[in-house]
Amino acid sequence: MTVLLTFILFFTQKDIQYYVGLLTHLAIIIITSIWAVSAFVSATTLSIAFMPFLGETLNFEIDQLTAFFILVINFTILTGIIYAKGYIHPYIKNKDKTEIAWHFFNFLWLHISMLLVVMLRDALAFLLVWEIMSLSSFFLVIFESEKAETLKIGIKYLIQMHIGVVFLMVAFILAYIQTGAAFSFDGLSVYFASHNPFWLFILFFLGFGIKAGFIPLHSWLPHAHPAAPSHVSGVMSGVMIKMGIYGILRVLMYIHHDLFNIGVFILIISLSSGLIGVSLAIVQHDVKKLLAYHSIENIGIIGIGIGMGTIGLAEDIPILAVLGFGGGILHILNHSLFKSLLFYTAGSVYKQTHTRNIEHLGGLIKKMPKTALLFLLGALAISGLPPFNGFISEFLIYSGMFKSLHSAGLFTDVILMFSFAGLVIIGGLALFCFTKVFSIIFLGTARSSKVEQAIEVNPTMLIPNFLIGFVIILIGFVPILFMQPLSQIVALFTIDTKAINLLIPALNSISLSSGIFIALIGIIWLLRSWQQKRQIIKQGDTWGCGYTGANPALHQYTATSYADNFVQLSSKLVHMKKEFTDFGEAEIFPQNRVFETHSSDVFEDNLLTKPSNILLKVFYKIAVFQTGKIQHYLLYALVFLIVIFFLTYFNLI
Amino acid sequence: MISFLLIIISSVFFVGILTKVKAKIAARKMPSVLQPIYDIIRLFNKGAIYSPITSVIFKMAPIIYFSSILLAAFFIPIGSQRAILSFDGDFVFFAYLLAIGKFMMIIAAMDTGSSFEGMGANREALYSMLVEPAFFILAGSVALFTNNISFSDLFLHLNLDNNLSYIIGIAAIYVLVYIAMVENSRMPIDDPKTHLELTMVHEVMVLDNSGFDLALIHIATWLKFAIYGSLISNFIIHTVWTWYWQIIVFFAIQLSFSAIIGILEAFRARNKLEKNPQWIIMLSAISVVVFLTALIITQKIILN
Amino acid sequence: MTYLFIILYAITLIYFALSERVKKFVWLLSIQGFILFGVVFFSLHTLEIFDFLFILIETILVKSLIVPLFLNKVRKHNHLKREHEPSVPVFYSIIVVVVTLIMSFILCNHLNNNQIHTKYFTVSFASIIFGIYFIIIHKNIFSHVVGYLIIENGIFLLSLAVGSEMPMMVNLAILLDVLMGVLVLGVFINQIGDTFKSVEIDQLSKLKD
Repeated sequence: MTVLLTFILFFTQKDIQYYVGLLTHLAIIIITSIWAVSAFVSATTLSIAFMPFLGETLNFEIDQLTAFFILVINFTILTGIIYAKGYIHPYIKNKDKTEIAWHFFNFLWLHISMLLVVMLRDALAFLLVWEIMSLSSFFLVIFESEKAETLKIGIKYLIQMHIGVVFLMVAFILAYIQTGAAFSFDGLSVYFASHNPFWLFILFFLGFGIKAGFIPLHSWLPHAHPAAPSHVSGVMSGVMIKMGIYGILRVLMYIHHDLFNIGVFILIISLSSGLIGVSLAIVQHDVKKLLAYHSIENIGIIGIGIGMGTIGLAEDIPILAVLGFGGGILHILNHSLFKSLLFYTAGSVYKQTHTRNIEHLGGLIKKMPKTALLFLLGALAISGLPPFNGFISEFLIYSGMFKSLHSAGLFTDVILMFSFAGLVIIGGLALFCFTKVFSIIFLGTARSSKVEQAIEVNPTMLIPNFLIGFVIILIGFVPILFMQPLSQIVALFTIDTKAINLLIPALNSISLSSGIFIALIGIIWLLRSWQQKRQIIKQGDTWGCGYTGANPALHQYTATSYADNFVQLSSKLVHMKKEFTDFGEAEIFPQNRVFETHSSDVFEDNLLTKPSNILLKVFYKIAVFQTGKIQHYLLYALVFLIVIFFLTYFNLI
Repeated sequence: MISFLLIIISSVFFVGILTKVKAKIAARKMPSVLQPIYDIIRLFNKGAIYSPITSVIFKMAPIIYFSSILLAAFFIPIGSQRAILSFDGDFVFFAYLLAIGKFMMIIAAMDTGSSFEGMGANREALYSMLVEPAFFILAGSVALFTNNISFSDLFLHLNLDNNLSYIIGIAAIYVLVYIAMVENSRMPIDDPKTHLELTMVHEVMVLDNSGFDLALIHIATWLKFAIYGSLISNFIIHTVWTWYWQIIVFFAIQLSFSAIIGILEAFRARNKLEKNPQWIIMLSAISVVVFLTALIITQKIILN
Repeated sequence: MTYLFIILYAITLIYFALSERVKKFVWLLSIQGFILFGVVFFSLHTLEIFDFLFILIETILVKSLIVPLFLNKVRKHNHLKREHEPSVPVFYSIIVVVVTLIMSFILCNHLNNNQIHTKYFTVSFASIIFGIYFIIIHKNIFSHVVGYLIIENGIFLLSLAVGSEMPMMVNLAILLDVLMGVLVLGVFINQIGDTFKSVEIDQLSKLKD
């Protein structure tokens, strides 16, 4: 019935299309959230009959993991659709009715397909819905298809998604052939019980990893997210890539032995994703590409949590298992919150200034104060700083690691050491990157004239941001509220969850300390106001070493200079190319110069561009045969017939 | 409570003793030990000048920086005196609390729109990122050694009795001294006496602060020194000693710590700025060796 | 106590990776000599006075005094100040040293052989691997001599690991190796420095023609 509602979109006028879409979304959200909450409250698995499919009835199986994902998906889509109203507004005039309807139609189907992905267990239905999800997100990405670049990027994205689907299909079919059990996720448990789980898991990991964006399977992410409109990027980065993580978690639930190698594998890939993702993010100057690379980094952090949990299961260290999985799963929620917040605020900036290049921005905090403060909130949260929610999930992972140091074996201890060293470097690099982004966009003076007309955005675009900000602060200050559902989810992986109860006093103390922190800030602020009331406060220019003749914007630090000392350390990874003409020997008064820096993704260059270029060259050579004359094609057919005749005559085929 | 008060008292005299030692070595006339206090009182009686380029971030950042360091001091125990706040995993909270202080100072520096402050900001961001693993690996090795993960419990159960554990103590103190130098932007990372804007790291970030804000930043620096001094003293003080003996040893260690920093500053030159990252990562390498020692002591590595 | 000196030896390996000045290489070599003396002193229980004197001479006299003095003379003769830009940045060399140390410690944990004294084997293995790595990344012949001496120190520890006593033969052999290597290479470097005014490897491979 809701399916029919989606088709009505095409028949309505441009102005009310948005509201029809909104109502449908709300309806779906309410129904599924009721199911999800009842799954949590009753602590069992709900099973709801859906529709007949190929002779059998398909059921929605809603266990706690599915319920968690349903709530995350619904919240992000809700904020996305509210934000979209203001964002789409300038496009409505230029596009015709069908295009806008098609856009909202695909948004609805993205929502529906994501929900179906987490609720269905039958393999064929799962793959079908996975395909619908990829297709609808493809159409959403190419919303601005009048630009040729966008279309190319969209097609690259579609191809990579299909490669992922191929891996998944092969994996499912392999399991089915080997065991003959049901062609669904549950049938996997029969396979894993009797065979070595590692290789099939790798197949699933490759398929789901392309969606999630682990290195080196990530090449579509940094192109697709900037090309898509901001509400779509927020939703894609917030929940769609988590569908890959969902798949990996679901497959992991059925494996109960030989987990150590799988855990180490996930850990190594996640650590590399985290470190490489954030290193590549630092050198970008397109704000949405930068945020896309940060998504890769956070997927790495989630993977570190999951890898830790798996190693804990393998080595029989319950506290590592519980806190690893708990931290990873909580980070899924946290990341969807702050990443969508960042994409929405970045989208607001783009809407007002029409540029995504941060080197052209600056000083926006004076013109868009609310957006700036919300971006700051997102930046503080994504760097994992207390008292916000990013810290809580990282704290869970750290606690798991440190508490299990004593009881683990030697090899596990060394792995733990590399993991927490890696995690802290990832946190430090994220801090480096976000200080750069926030300061260059919002602080200082304007670096170009594009900033002139920027004003604060429409309130409807701000409401979802405030909503997300509220939840961020809630999780950061009162994490206890979320522990009980979290332990229910982790119980699906390991039975012994009392380790979470050990953590409750620590989490309460964190809430207390955060409260004291805010109180201290308040007290000192009051002291300062009292002191400054009796003194003279003046305005004076920034110290420019006594040189007063220059435009302040020219002297500011740019994003490239900020990232430069990091680039010196990681030059092999980020492939920074600098193009400029050097000064001549006798050039006393230098002429005007142009200086350009470009960075490219080393994985994309070596894994995708180089092989495909070689392939293209080979094809050009073969294309000689395609002459376009029908006589040549008839000649080929004749030659083929003669060859077949001779081969049969000599009994070769 | 007592540990917090001890930290505050020792922080007051720390910088004064440091300057006195440096001046004595350089054969200059020594300023009074209380000179920093006089500076702060002078700053409290002044107004402030704000640049029109800056925004609310610049005004709030010193307050958040100072509060984060003050809150971090709540977590440090001294000997057998417990800290005001303590929970499992609090050193993670401690490290990230210092990080949020740094974040606010860095964006406040970029807020002024000055290129000097931008230079200092990005150097500060890089160096503090590189020194974090050293601290965490060190904390991890002590946690492995004592099987506790909060500052108070860690130091309560730290018994450095046999030969091998002395290595952990000495190496940890060595690494902590240098971590303190990096975090406070002293030699050999950054020279606090140079006033060439192009070569400063921390000093240049506070170039445009004045009045109350500058006073807050100075006090925050003393507190950071005192915090690291207390961490070092915890490695030396045995919890079985009587309480007055612990307090005396604590003050003696703070005194010698400031003297050692003064001596190190007087005799070393600053590293070339592009050599700083490799020097800082050397600290993490030594922490890894400490971790390996802890693995040997806890019999995870079996050597005959 | 032996463990203390083994850990100090590991730390000197890290300082080798960090430093770039040739003077510091020589200084670290002499410190390594003292550390080796400490290791031997605290680990051998049954020792005759003659053996003890010989080891004393070998480690302190030769490794810590004679060889560094000789190397200093060569360094001053050729005006070597700083190693010009090793092919791998120092930042990554430090990471390589740390990984080597961790690998050798884990490896020794797996060796359950009672014939080998694994506590010496750990740093000796790391030292040999690091010495080879040192020669690979530095382009200067002088640094190659230093790397060669690091490998010799590692072999010294190896003889402690696999032997239950200190056979004279092994020590004599190592001593001869060290002296001959250093003397020959030192004289060689002086001659090259006088003739070509540079001791970089890249320049030297042009000698073929």
